[in-house]
Amino acid sequence: MQAVILAAGEGSRLRPLTRSKPKAMLPVANRPIIEYVIDALLENGIRDIVVVVGYRKEDVIRHLNKLDAPIQVVVQERQLGTADALRAAESEITGDFLVLPGDNYINAESIARIKKERNAILVAEHPSPSNFGVVVIRNGLAREIIEKPEDAPTFTVSTGIYSFAPDVFSYLRTNEIPDALAAMIASGRRIRAIPAADWQDAIYPWDLLKLNSRMLKGIAPEIGGTVDASVVRRGTVRIGTGTTVGPNTVIYGPVTIGDNCNIGPNCVIMPDVSIGDRVEVEPFTYVADSLIMSDARIGSHSRIVSAVFGQGCILADHTTTYPSASFIEVGERVQKEEFGAVLGDGVRAAPFTTFKNCIAGNNVTIERGKTVVGLIEDGTRVM
Amino acid sequence: MCGIVGYIGRRDATPVLIQGLKRLEYRGYDSFGIATVGSAIEVYKKVGRISDGEAGAAYLAGYTGIGHTRWATHGEPSDINAHPHTDCTGRIALVHNGVIENYSELKRQLQERGHTFRSETDTEVIAHLVEERYDGDLLAAVSAVLPLLEGSYAVLAIAADTQRIVAARNASPLVLGVGDAEVFAASDMTPLLEYTERVIYLEDGDVADLTPDRYTIYHDGREVERPVELISWCVEDTRKGGFAHYMLKEIFEQPQSFYETIRAGIDDHVRQMVMEADEITLVACGTSYHTALVFKYLAEPLCNLPVRVEMGSEFKYFTPPLHGLVIAVSQSGETADTIAALKMAKARNCPTLAITNVQGSTVTRVADKTLLMRAGPEIGVAATKSYTAQLAALMQIVNARCDGAFDDVLSHAHLAIGEVLIREIREAVALCSKAEHVFFVGRGPFYPVSMEGALKMKEISYVHAEGYAAGELKHGPFALLTAETPVVAICTPGPTYSVMASNIKEMKARKAPVIALGVDGDKELAEIVDIFIPIPNTHLLVQVLTISVALQLLAYHTACALQRDVDKPRNLAKSVTVE
Repeated sequence: MQAVILAAGEGSRLRPLTRSKPKAMLPVANRPIIEYVIDALLENGIRDIVVVVGYRKEDVIRHLNKLDAPIQVVVQERQLGTADALRAAESEITGDFLVLPGDNYINAESIARIKKERNAILVAEHPSPSNFGVVVIRNGLAREIIEKPEDAPTFTVSTGIYSFAPDVFSYLRTNEIPDALAAMIASGRRIRAIPAADWQDAIYPWDLLKLNSRMLKGIAPEIGGTVDASVVRRGTVRIGTGTTVGPNTVIYGPVTIGDNCNIGPNCVIMPDVSIGDRVEVEPFTYVADSLIMSDARIGSHSRIVSAVFGQGCILADHTTTYPSASFIEVGERVQKEEFGAVLGDGVRAAPFTTFKNCIAGNNVTIERGKTVVGLIEDGTRVM
Repeated sequence: MCGIVGYIGRRDATPVLIQGLKRLEYRGYDSFGIATVGSAIEVYKKVGRISDGEAGAAYLAGYTGIGHTRWATHGEPSDINAHPHTDCTGRIALVHNGVIENYSELKRQLQERGHTFRSETDTEVIAHLVEERYDGDLLAAVSAVLPLLEGSYAVLAIAADTQRIVAARNASPLVLGVGDAEVFAASDMTPLLEYTERVIYLEDGDVADLTPDRYTIYHDGREVERPVELISWCVEDTRKGGFAHYMLKEIFEQPQSFYETIRAGIDDHVRQMVMEADEITLVACGTSYHTALVFKYLAEPLCNLPVRVEMGSEFKYFTPPLHGLVIAVSQSGETADTIAALKMAKARNCPTLAITNVQGSTVTRVADKTLLMRAGPEIGVAATKSYTAQLAALMQIVNARCDGAFDDVLSHAHLAIGEVLIREIREAVALCSKAEHVFFVGRGPFYPVSMEGALKMKEISYVHAEGYAAGELKHGPFALLTAETPVVAICTPGPTYSVMASNIKEMKARKAPVIALGVDGDKELAEIVDIFIPIPNTHLLVQVLTISVALQLLAYHTACALQRDVDKPRNLAKSVTVE
């Protein structure tokens, strides 16, 4: 069986984090989301994998080249929609195949359930179905798919994972796969709805924290690098090669720390924290429930809670991220969600900055002693 | 500058040879050929590129074989001039990389003795010489011929009635790969990566006798031991993956290769060497020459250190008086001119340092010390990641001389390089791809950066490009400025900003369209030029890198727009191993 992974879309609701990479490449527990999808396929013995790339494709291709599994790459020149992306892979398809989004987590058990079916859709229950395609099911068959409805008739949503026969290409008349599915249903085709075993999507940047803590449950303990004898570790902790953890640091897993980092001395890393490569966490800093991407630097005496930091953020001493909830407009919708901070790539903050329920764009600079709240555009200087 | 490969072992030789030649294609690609020991010597050779599908037709039986991909030096590219070459009887075949300088004399003598020559190459004389001395012992025959040859060679020879390859090297690269009951030989390690990680670098004057289960190396007639080394490159690095071109892949690898080179640091011996130098002379060719010039512009003001930069190709015949540390810069470590210059420096008792990407390459064995850059294999003919990795190595020398003042700048530079990779340059590409001539101008370290930008542009897009120091433009080249000659100007904050800005206005007054590279948020500059490409506002050392990368992308996309063969530009080969 073949599988087509769609990884061409940006995932614009996750901005500012998708500036240099598509959503599928965002690291969660220090691995890009697409890797979890590929793992789930490989565990099911599906090795013939085609990945459709588009937005920031170089980043995706470079990463795919590093994997052991040989992966076929096809390019969707313009990001018109999922069906258009699938058409880009048409020439590579030789038989029945699965279609999966590259930017949602899916486990191997779910794949095992759907790969047995021909013409099927994998569905899941979600508390806020309005962000997804809602699937109306009767007698185990999908009857209708309603895209992002204001009032959803049910909590069952499409995971975007399908099992198709090659004749699906004749139904791809518009640019979206759900339209093709509707056409297939209309022509009398039976599309089975299969419940997923475990599936998770991150729609908005703060959702990455939930995905991160979910993925951290699966990490394997490993200690590379140099960890001082006085360091206290509890739970599952993974530390990459070349990383130094200084004296009297406390790490409570699940925590993953990448390669060539410098942590401590005297830091506290609490559960549900991912730290990328080459990150520096200076002394007396506390980090909990956060996703810190590569090359970030967090100054001493900081308190980082419920935060997502993009690549290369440089935060001086006494930085605080303070979780609270206020109304934020993202992608034409107003949201209220509790989190501390979401920072794009290359954000710089002077000493004593407080982020409070803040989404700061790429390359934002914040001067000394400010409290920043809400949405800040890319490149802004906060004075 | 040809590539050679040999295989002896348990596999069918043909696919191993063809695959190996594809990996070596960057060394030359005007014709290729293979020969195997089957029931007799069988030869297949063809003008053209091995990757053009011609190779599919080649299948020769046998578990022992040799192959060659050619960059013509003696005789035009043709089926006949392609290697392997055979003797009169067709019992001996050999491939050769290098130049036999006394070949015409040898050829005359051989013709007098009744040998018939089929090709115009220098290589064929070796085949006939071996023929005269061959009585069933190929090793003895080849060893007897080598003293007659003047010049450079890496040779692989096979004979019809014996399952062995005889390899010899003098001043051309040759490595052996040791597998399980199989032995490989190649011009560099890239063809071996798929099969083994154990390699042996042969020394000049070595002759090796290869059979499936053993290899024996002789030097001056005596058996010698050469260390088996482990290679750190992996085969993934030599695959194009989903990228349209190796060059694009390598451009995008630069954040990583720069960081890796910085992280590897410089060892204490090299550090001591550069700290003790009161004067540095760099020898390099091509792109490496430009990195050396950048170093001069950085090291002289920042470390108050006199630096001289010499072209390898001029050095040999016009040698300057030498004093102090001599640094050879060569990606492949096989650049003939640079190596010759390095040997001369050594003969004059100067301490020598090699900066190269290839562990075990010739330059590392000539120089006293080596500073290895961590770019990984570079396959695209146009140097990209090796250029920035060379700068990483050279900037570390600047940093060492400044007592680590730039530690922080260098360890974060890869982020700015990554940022430039996603900047939009479409308009500039459209302009350059319509132009017949493009000028690149800059001041200070950006002068060599402009030269490198121009080199990239001309070598892959075939658009005529020249790099000038901005102030020199008025001394002549200004006459060439018209509304059809775009100027790429580098104008970043610093002492030269205002004079550069007025230079740009002068060019605009001659109606030349100006593409300016400046820092983010420079609205004044953006207003006076036609196209503004912003780069991150960072330290001078990092600006050198980011602007270079932006110019690589400009050349790359221009070449793509003009539908050029980016990875194999016409007439060029990656490492220039002849003078």
